[in-house]
Amino acid sequence: MQSFNQLTAHLRRQGRKNYLLLMGCCFFSVLLITAYVSMMRSPTVLSVLPEGGDSRKQVMMVFVLAVVGCAVFTTYASGLFLRSKSRETGIFLALGASRAQVRRQLYRDLGIVSVASCAAGALLGTPLAWVIWQIFRLVVVDSEEMVLSFDPQAYLYALAFSVFVTVALFLMAAQFIRRTNIIDIVNEARKSEPIREVKPWYGRVGILLLVAGGVLGYMMPSFFVRQLHWYAPGAVTAIFYLPAMVGLYMVLLHTVVNGWGRGRNRYKHIISTSQMRFQGRQTVRNMLVITVLVAGAYFASFYAPMLSTSSSYQFDTRPVDYAYHFRSDQDIPLEDEVRQLAADYGVIITTFTHQPSAILGTDGTISIEQDNGALGTTYTEAYREIAGGASFLPESAYNALTGQGIDIPAGSCANVLDDEGGSSYLSGGDVTHLTNMSTGATLDVTPAEPLCCTLLLGYYVLDDADYAAIAADLTPDWREEVVFFNVEDVEATYPFAKALFNEIVDRSEPEVEVADYWDPVQRELAIAETGRYDYDDPAYLAEADLYQADYGQRDSSDFRNYWKYMPQFRVLDENDFLTTMAVFLMLFIFIALICFAAVLVIAYTRCLTIAAGNVQVYDDLRHLGASPWYLYCTVRRQVSRVFVTPVTVGTAAMWGLYLLIMYFNGEPYGYTGGELAGMGSCLLVTAGCSALIYVVYRLTLRQVLSLLHIHR
Amino acid sequence: MLYVENLHKSYLVGKEPVEVLKGVSFQLAQGEFVAVMGPSGSGKTTLLNCISCYIPFDRGQITLGGQKLSDLDEAALAKVRNQKLGFVFQDFMLLDGLTVRDNILLPRILSGAVDAQAESYADDLCRTFGIDHIRNKYPAEISGGEKQRTAVARALINHPLVILADEPTGNLDSKSSRAVIDSFQRAQRELGATIFMVTHDSFAASFCDRVVLLQDGVVYDTLTNPGSRSAFQDQLLAAIKSMSGGDDHAIL
Repeated sequence: MQSFNQLTAHLRRQGRKNYLLLMGCCFFSVLLITAYVSMMRSPTVLSVLPEGGDSRKQVMMVFVLAVVGCAVFTTYASGLFLRSKSRETGIFLALGASRAQVRRQLYRDLGIVSVASCAAGALLGTPLAWVIWQIFRLVVVDSEEMVLSFDPQAYLYALAFSVFVTVALFLMAAQFIRRTNIIDIVNEARKSEPIREVKPWYGRVGILLLVAGGVLGYMMPSFFVRQLHWYAPGAVTAIFYLPAMVGLYMVLLHTVVNGWGRGRNRYKHIISTSQMRFQGRQTVRNMLVITVLVAGAYFASFYAPMLSTSSSYQFDTRPVDYAYHFRSDQDIPLEDEVRQLAADYGVIITTFTHQPSAILGTDGTISIEQDNGALGTTYTEAYREIAGGASFLPESAYNALTGQGIDIPAGSCANVLDDEGGSSYLSGGDVTHLTNMSTGATLDVTPAEPLCCTLLLGYYVLDDADYAAIAADLTPDWREEVVFFNVEDVEATYPFAKALFNEIVDRSEPEVEVADYWDPVQRELAIAETGRYDYDDPAYLAEADLYQADYGQRDSSDFRNYWKYMPQFRVLDENDFLTTMAVFLMLFIFIALICFAAVLVIAYTRCLTIAAGNVQVYDDLRHLGASPWYLYCTVRRQVSRVFVTPVTVGTAAMWGLYLLIMYFNGEPYGYTGGELAGMGSCLLVTAGCSALIYVVYRLTLRQVLSLLHIHR
Repeated sequence: MLYVENLHKSYLVGKEPVEVLKGVSFQLAQGEFVAVMGPSGSGKTTLLNCISCYIPFDRGQITLGGQKLSDLDEAALAKVRNQKLGFVFQDFMLLDGLTVRDNILLPRILSGAVDAQAESYADDLCRTFGIDHIRNKYPAEISGGEKQRTAVARALINHPLVILADEPTGNLDSKSSRAVIDSFQRAQRELGATIFMVTHDSFAASFCDRVVLLQDGVVYDTLTNPGSRSAFQDQLLAAIKSMSGGDDHAIL
């Protein structure tokens, strides 16, 4: 060995485990982030996530969590690596190597490590996303929409994260070398990380803050909107989640430093608690990341079961097999044609009901929004005699369609809610003044007790005489037809359902090729006032990233979800649900996979470093006469704390938030049957994921025991 | 060879500066073997770290081979550490990944000055200190005494002006301690080395030519070896007793 370069090359080979650990961590972080961002920026995925929509925000939110988690994980790995280099660096400096010489060598090593691992992670991230997606397509579901395409811009994100990883590594290395006291560097590897005293009330106050932050964070945005008429910027509403983060930190800190069974088991757990306490900062930081990622993973993984179970519940409980409506000026198949088509497919129609409805102008308040820039948007409400349009049924038609026997008193009007009397936020609310848009005739009504029928959610029902009066002389473009029918053996009628659906779409004219936000009454008002209706303008819709209905994309999830005249055929919805929602569901499953993978790798790495750092302690304990069982228990307690505490807190936090969301999701507050069924599925998912984490925990425990030479 | 004049050094404890060295002065002649002793907190290790250029000092002067250390920049100080000083630490400070021979050559490797002559000298040192048979072994495979003798050999590889030893026998049993002290004496005798050693061990110190006693950051006394090791040890023990106000266990 002749030169410093040869010497460091030799030491690199000797310490390759440390290099491999750092490379592995950097590679893994960049790989995950690249895979995630490849998927997030994929045109395939973006096409099903409306711009500004909740889903896109949720995907972005979990992405931010993943980035923060991976960033903390990478800096943790860098810290470990530098600790492993501290002894040799200290000896070099003590024996007369210059700082510049050592810095050059360290930078060269880190340069190779970071460039190689980041490049490998960035290059393999997209193929990884592609492979996972293809497995989804092969094993779970496949549809036209699931053909995956990638946006090269994703690589910019991957590059940005790689740059962050590299810069963080170099900054930490620079700080490490800059330390003036050589003795500190030499002693670095043996230094514990004492954390300041943690008061015994930290745990309880932490839980309180955690709950308060979750509730406040969820409730404040709607409080702002309802009470202050203020759409606050995201940053403002996010602040209210801060107590939850502080609380989470306090809970974990208390768990690591004090433990929960202090009085009872103080001596029993003194070894494991004290060992963890002196690796406190790193442990808590890692546990925090794991907690947040577990919460993110569950948030994403609940999406698919929640959506599919509640939809399935809704399909199953739908009282009518086939329901559709159309504007009266459209040439859409009615009873004779439908029966003929049914006969062609060998389908027997058992009941067939066809009733008229009318589109009337309704009074109400409109929001006049004012954009305040960075301060968000405020709005004022103003009453208008004609604020928008809604569909109206006479009571006899409603009774014929639903089989109910309601009687609406003359001069009153009932709004239709869902089967369980909920979803009032979708139903339009009370109206008191109705306008015939063809003749200008008006009718004042008083709100009656709401009705319940999910298939007619958002309709209004009038007394027959009132209906006849106000709907008189409406032109066909202000009238609609509502058709409900049932068939024998509905599960076997999919080909018929598909054929009827295609027939309806094929025979619908371009003027009804509109999405559900399109309101003919508001259109009339807008044209009368400004000469144009924004929602007719494809350029405006494209700019606002609003869905434009397209008969050519009739099997897409967007069309099925948002076409204003989308039929509701139970067998069609049931069979096509998975394929139409495939991209959506798979995206969230993918996110969950990424987050869980990160959780498992971080927890595993953390436990192995606990083992590596405690070999001497366990030797000493063995020499002091500790039995293998005692040693096993102290190791198990440490490993389980890294796994169990953050996983439990993350799972509980996400369940708490979900229960909260479901409870307040729609009025009256409470849980619908669909939501309960969905949460049942989520419970199964939680059990499955917990079992997987437990398996990894057991494997990790076995590995740590083996590293510490502990045999039960 | 080494002059320390009116050396002051303080640390911040919290926000309060605590003065550890309060004007220490002494000197070392070439070929001398000198120890510094004193109770915990007297400033021994701080003094050694200042001379080693590991930590900066506040005031005073350290002159090594005619060169004032306070005048030197970072790079020059590194050069002094590499070429004019040799180090022996309590916990050996050997690199686990290098063999005994490579560890001895480490200061030369760092300065890019490994040649046949250096290698041959390393082999000579191995023979001199009785570690020739383990020169291709790794530190994990040898005893504590052998590790420390390796460290002594490493300290001598660059023909330094002074060897600085920080508790070199602190982690060793009596037999190994004796072997290390023998190594120092041999280095002094056969290679003309100048050695400055911090120790708690009056037995180890009794082999030195002189012992500087430190208390509370100042030189309490300097004792010279009368020629008899055991008499010098008795003298040292008496001085330590008097320094600690009659407490026999203040240092030992």
